[in-house]
Amino acid sequence: MRATEFTETMLGTVRLDAEPRERRLRLDLRADADTVLRPHRTTMARLTGRARIAGLADDTGAKGELEVSPLARRRIRYRLTFTADGRVLTLDGWKSVTPRRPVASMTVLPFTLYEGDTRVGAGVLRFPLLTGLLPFLLSFRFPRRDTQAELLAPRWNGAPGRTEVWYTTLTDPATGTGIWLHHELTAPADGSEPTAHGWVAAFPREGEVRHARFGPVPWTRPEHGFTSDDVTVTAGQLTGSADDFHWKLTERPQDPPLFTFPRWAWRRPLLPAAQMLPAARAAYDGEFAYGDRTLTLQGAPGASARIYGHGNAQRWTWLHADLGDGDVLEVVAAVSTRPGLRRLPPLVFLRLRHRGRTWPRRAERSAVGWLGIGRFRAGFGLPRWTVTGRTVLRRIRVEVDQPAERTLVLEYRDPDGARAVCRNSETADARVVLERWWGRWRPEASWVLDRTAHAEAGDR
Amino acid sequence: MTAAGFVAALLADTGDEEWPARVPDRLDSVLASLPLPARAGVHTAVAALDAYAVLRAGRRLAALCADERESLLRSLAARPGLAPLFDVLKVPVMLAAGTERMPALPAPAPAPEDPPLDCTPARDWPTRSTADVVVVGSGAGGAVAARTFARAGLSVVVLEEGEHHSTASFGRRAPLDRFTELYRDGGATLALGRPPLLLPVGRAVGGTTVVNSGTCYRTPDRVLTRWSRRFGFALAEGLPPRLDEIERTLRVATQPLDVLGNNGLLALAGAERLGWRAGPLRRNAPGCKGSCQCVVGCPTGAKQSVQLSVLPDACAAGARIVTGARVRRILLDHDRPGAPRAAGVRVRRPDGSELEILSPLVVTAAGALQTPPLLRRSGLGGHPRLGRNLSVHPATSVAGRFAQPVTAWRGVLQSAGVEELHDRGILIEATASPPGMGSFVLPGLGQELRRELEESERLATLGAMIADRPSGRVRGRDRTLVSYDLDPRDGDRLTTAVRSMGRLLFAAGAEEVLTGVPSVPRARSAGELDELLTRVGARDLHLSAFHPTGTVAAGADARLAPTDPEGRLRGARGVLVADGSVLPSCPEVNPQLSIMAAALAIAETWLEREGGGRTG
Repeated sequence: MRATEFTETMLGTVRLDAEPRERRLRLDLRADADTVLRPHRTTMARLTGRARIAGLADDTGAKGELEVSPLARRRIRYRLTFTADGRVLTLDGWKSVTPRRPVASMTVLPFTLYEGDTRVGAGVLRFPLLTGLLPFLLSFRFPRRDTQAELLAPRWNGAPGRTEVWYTTLTDPATGTGIWLHHELTAPADGSEPTAHGWVAAFPREGEVRHARFGPVPWTRPEHGFTSDDVTVTAGQLTGSADDFHWKLTERPQDPPLFTFPRWAWRRPLLPAAQMLPAARAAYDGEFAYGDRTLTLQGAPGASARIYGHGNAQRWTWLHADLGDGDVLEVVAAVSTRPGLRRLPPLVFLRLRHRGRTWPRRAERSAVGWLGIGRFRAGFGLPRWTVTGRTVLRRIRVEVDQPAERTLVLEYRDPDGARAVCRNSETADARVVLERWWGRWRPEASWVLDRTAHAEAGDR
Repeated sequence: MTAAGFVAALLADTGDEEWPARVPDRLDSVLASLPLPARAGVHTAVAALDAYAVLRAGRRLAALCADERESLLRSLAARPGLAPLFDVLKVPVMLAAGTERMPALPAPAPAPEDPPLDCTPARDWPTRSTADVVVVGSGAGGAVAARTFARAGLSVVVLEEGEHHSTASFGRRAPLDRFTELYRDGGATLALGRPPLLLPVGRAVGGTTVVNSGTCYRTPDRVLTRWSRRFGFALAEGLPPRLDEIERTLRVATQPLDVLGNNGLLALAGAERLGWRAGPLRRNAPGCKGSCQCVVGCPTGAKQSVQLSVLPDACAAGARIVTGARVRRILLDHDRPGAPRAAGVRVRRPDGSELEILSPLVVTAAGALQTPPLLRRSGLGGHPRLGRNLSVHPATSVAGRFAQPVTAWRGVLQSAGVEELHDRGILIEATASPPGMGSFVLPGLGQELRRELEESERLATLGAMIADRPSGRVRGRDRTLVSYDLDPRDGDRLTTAVRSMGRLLFAAGAEEVLTGVPSVPRARSAGELDELLTRVGARDLHLSAFHPTGTVAAGADARLAPTDPEGRLRGARGVLVADGSVLPSCPEVNPQLSIMAAALAIAETWLEREGGGRTG
């Protein structure tokens, strides 16, 4: 579902009841609606921004709501709460749209100012057409915002030769145990019935890595998430058992989705496969038991991810690193199995969410650069593999260590029956260095993950 | 002074008295308050008379001497076809003449302080505001609805097109000045039809209750039964206790005889001799001093109009009144499933600017003549019966000349009721009025009229209103256009009423009865009156009408009633109708109690249904 975002600046005057003269007022607002703005309907949006009253207020944390209904209700209503001189004021006003005066009625906003329920002033704001129209129009964005449930729904459309994966990795902060839940739908290339299978693995800080497989069982075509006997994945719930593993986890998304591959690659399966995270970070609660150990998870950090495509890559590496403070790094570097593409260097998809922004801005940037120039590079290998890359003003170096004793080696099988070997560690080490160019390269941030990185390297 | 010559001719001004010379100026101020068509009509008629004078005598009316004017008028009066025209022209002139001839007012006693109202002129009201309930109109229905909602804890804004007039302001100014301010169209609202009816309605904080006569009749039981059984207006069954509450609020009591005035006493005496049921009226005017100025605002504050009784309670409970606010339209939200939902109102200020108030509930109480156009302007005029079903009380009056002075304008304006014929739909009420302001038109032109004017002290006037069949219609979106075709049955009732009033006056000792019909102006006995009335029909009578109701009637049948049995407008959500227009048919009595009780029932029922909490 697409959302709407735009910015708007309005200028005007306000007269407070206690004062004889008018004060100038300026609002710089950002509107954010969960739906596409349709002029003939009513759209509710959240307002954030900055409210300034000359000599009285300058609040960058103004918040409110916007009701956009130029045709259905003939009204565009603003309600904005901000702080002025220690007082919490609410601006309530609306443009009253009429076809007889389209421009004036769409740009003039009379409003009343309240403190609590008491009226404290009134004024008029105007949208400055000459200077404001172009920025206003250019600011419109209609980003796609899918709910977690929508992103968890099966993608498979019945075509043979497809594989679809729901996998979750997390680290128990109490014991340092890494957990890996892999749920896979395989639709064989020969057209035979699709099957559901998967495995669960525990990577304790001390001791041996253990895992257990479940399935394969026939795919029952659930509408939401994954189901295989008693193993299920639905929005906010992961349950199941395999051998002596039993788990019942609840998942709380902490972040918006993160598209490791370009969003279009997830929407339209043009690439051999694509991976994405319904929530870039999630917290897990519940119980996870294996053997004679039972872990009680409370806010365990991790993430769920989704893969849909034709099968595994020729060679690949993957990293999910929770960097703390809401930052997260997701890396997939892969060489396709397709003839021709197989000869290309690895495509690196690197997404760093740092201070609320995702870098590089476009997912294609790290993979292909500008026609190959400036693409990010991957150095495959074990126990250490690396990814490096730079944009104009930033560069990054990622080093991942997967010691053999903390790595689980599993055999993967593609829909066409081809085999691959995956080496996975949910207690890997990683080092990430981010630098920014300002006359010279200066350190911007660096992170060291000790046994909390989730990583994987695969080949054939 | 547009009509100095005409006024001099009409009043046979010979220059020996001072007051007729002041009348043309006063007439100008009266005309200035009339709507443009009426003003233009008067000017055209006066110009035509002047032209006739030039053709006949070579000079305009103003330049003729008194005898020449008199002979000119006589030649015109000889043409019966012109009689209705002169009748119409006489009305504003008599208004002006009555005021100028009136002896100077006794210095008014200091007016009592009015209970406080929270009134804000529209120019000071913010351009954007919100409320839980907006009430359009502050008359009988609007005031009660506002009080009910305010007491339930909702924030209420009452919008009134007129201004607020205090009791003190009534005491300060001459009745005629108040008359032109307190009435819509200067009191010249006309219902077109044969015959046309003058239909005066008030426009002020308090609505028509500011200018009514204070007569308080409970809705008759037979009317309540008809409303609930035949029309399915379910709330009618619950009206009696609400009528009690309204009577308590308005402090309704039988008018004591001490200030009743000769007019009422003569009517009672006549009724007693005839053995008719009659008595002093029940009124909402405790401590009435008999100023006889009810129709231009009570100068002593005795009459408990809603701006003195109901609206102060509403304001005490938090309601606010915006004056000078004409509601342009009800704002509607069309984006939800089902019927459009009221979202507030758009209001025009006197300076032409507009303000808007958002509220999820809009109560229309603009009166039976203004509510239908408001709904049409708002796009809610789709119901085929909206604006139809207009009931009024067609009324006519007769005067009786007595040997002794009556001085009808000292005493209670509407003092005594004769209910002998009420079962037949005729209610006779002894109604005097400040000179010139009554609906009775003195007969004659020139010297004859002047003589009548000089002797008007000896006149007692009775009025009769009849319960009509709903036969009017309110058209228009921006301007109200009322049409009304008198039903033949109602015409018969009117002539019966004139005959009965004549009998009553003769029984009370009148020497002569003035019928108000130009062709048969006088009768000296009951027999003569009966004989004269055989020659005239209801269309020859000089008719007024009062108490418009029924134009957005409530009822169970969705095809016939624009409003549902609980007062909610069909075809919209969040619109209540709480004024005279919601009454299903003619209430047969002065309707202020009926309207107020119905408004109370509608508001209370809405609160019960919606839980009475804030609607947010």
